[in-house]
Amino acid sequence: MKFQLKNLALAIMTTIALTSCSNDDDNAPISGEGSLKLEFDNVYGDADLIFGTEYTNSNGEKVKPNNAIYIVSNIVLTKEDGTTYTVPKSESYFFVNEADAASTIITLPNIPAANYTSVKFGIGVDQEQFNAGADGQGDMWTTAQGLGMTWSWAAGYKFMKFEGTTTTTSHTDAVYRVHTGKTGDVYNYAEVTLNMPEKALVRTNVTPQVHIMADFKKVIDGTTKINFEEGLDVMGGTKVQNIMANNVPTMFEIHHVHND
Amino acid sequence: MKKYLSYLLVLVFFSIHATEKDSLSLFKKYDFSNRVGIFEEEEDCDACGCSASGGSMGFASMLTTNFIGIRYFNQSYKSTDGLYSNSPWYDENFNTIQVWGRIPIVKNVQATVLLPYHFHNRESNNGKQNISGIGDITLLGMYQIVQTKSDSLFFKHTLQLGGGVKMPTGKFDETNNGSVNPSYQVGTGSWDYLLATEYIIRRKNWGLNNMVNYVIKTENDKSYRFGNQFNYASTLFYLVEKNHFSYAPQLGIAGELYEDNYQRGQKVRGTAGDIFLGKLGIEIGKNNFSFGANYMIPIQQNLTGGNVEANYRWSLNLNYML
Repeated sequence: MKFQLKNLALAIMTTIALTSCSNDDDNAPISGEGSLKLEFDNVYGDADLIFGTEYTNSNGEKVKPNNAIYIVSNIVLTKEDGTTYTVPKSESYFFVNEADAASTIITLPNIPAANYTSVKFGIGVDQEQFNAGADGQGDMWTTAQGLGMTWSWAAGYKFMKFEGTTTTTSHTDAVYRVHTGKTGDVYNYAEVTLNMPEKALVRTNVTPQVHIMADFKKVIDGTTKINFEEGLDVMGGTKVQNIMANNVPTMFEIHHVHND
Repeated sequence: MKKYLSYLLVLVFFSIHATEKDSLSLFKKYDFSNRVGIFEEEEDCDACGCSASGGSMGFASMLTTNFIGIRYFNQSYKSTDGLYSNSPWYDENFNTIQVWGRIPIVKNVQATVLLPYHFHNRESNNGKQNISGIGDITLLGMYQIVQTKSDSLFFKHTLQLGGGVKMPTGKFDETNNGSVNPSYQVGTGSWDYLLATEYIIRRKNWGLNNMVNYVIKTENDKSYRFGNQFNYASTLFYLVEKNHFSYAPQLGIAGELYEDNYQRGQKVRGTAGDIFLGKLGIEIGKNNFSFGANYMIPIQQNLTGGNVEANYRWSLNLNYML
């Protein structure tokens, strides 16, 4: 009887265990094109960035942001086999504006179906594009002007704008303005490469959404720290160079990838 | 999964050997006279909202072996997207009305059927959301391996072993699983398989019901696979019979362990989890009817990477004894 019972139990379990194995490997070759979305989620430290909310920096200064815009450009996606897909340059400039929710999700069409493991992009407008001159800008200069993301043509685009009010030792709710871009002959274009914590599986019927955290605390309170007490406007010189070289490249991080 | 299967096997065999050592007879005759006092098997099964759901909550009639009835249960959760330190928490309410029954098929074999209808709601940043519909139907066969009969024995034992299938009759909505709680669904969309065992030990009016089950989940046609689920429960009950009434208060513990969910063969981070609950219940029987009420409260939990928290669960049922 004991023997029989064992067999019975074993039979039931092995049957279920074996028949329930699902085939996770889809061996059909991946082909065609799909889309991929990059979602830029602006945060301040580990908190959601909400305009009008006061945040405190490591130097004790408080900021209440009310404007945050940056240019994302020259997107390159790396597949799991190490090869890359470069979004055509003429279609690879985006203004991410915290005040405009639709602008924070960038949809990239015509992406070859593949498993992608990292994404590279720039913040600002690269020198090559700027050198294309006024005629080479298409609508972009006008769009940038509309968002207050330009100086004079000679000074070029603002790469990132971060504004609000600040309370420091001698200021209370004073307007601060951080505008980055090229400083004289120094171009200050920043590049960022982010590894994906899970692969983005682009398929004809799957549009992965890559959720990127963009931490504005790092812009002014990162490796390089900005003291608004020293000046409420940060629009040039070594401060801007340091922000673009040290702070901006570290402010982005991929939180997760949805493959729906 | 291997670990849990082995655990299940060990538990089953241990129980079999233990009862054999006590030289109790196996394959006891089905005993209709023993209507009172057989604690129903814990009905396992995804209460659904699927993974973070009432896998261990099912309790059935302890007053009868075979019945058909209706059960309502409510599960209260709260969840957050976990993106920010200041992310809001939203309430989620999972409601289920279930027709359930346990019907004798042949000697020592019973079929359990669960036909759920779900209506869930939750808060979100853009208002209140609702989903409702028929859930996944479960069919489970339980085979009674051991049942001691004689009243002269110090302990009476019942051991049952079974397996079953959960069918994708409930709708799985892909757009829900990009959201916080991947279990906010009325169905898994998948064929899932169940292994269940139940061991009851009784002495006089006291009884202890122990249940273990394992749910093997497969990939649905949206290429999403919920993590396999291991459920366990242990319930102490005391049977009182007065005039035409019988009632049985009960006290117990229950737990659920969830493995990671997979989407298109890729692990969905932070979907594994576990919960350990305490439970309190009572069942009252009169004539052919029994009424049950049950309340469960989490003692320890870590669901969906801490982004989902169970508040409590409760259920009411009305059964007709066959």
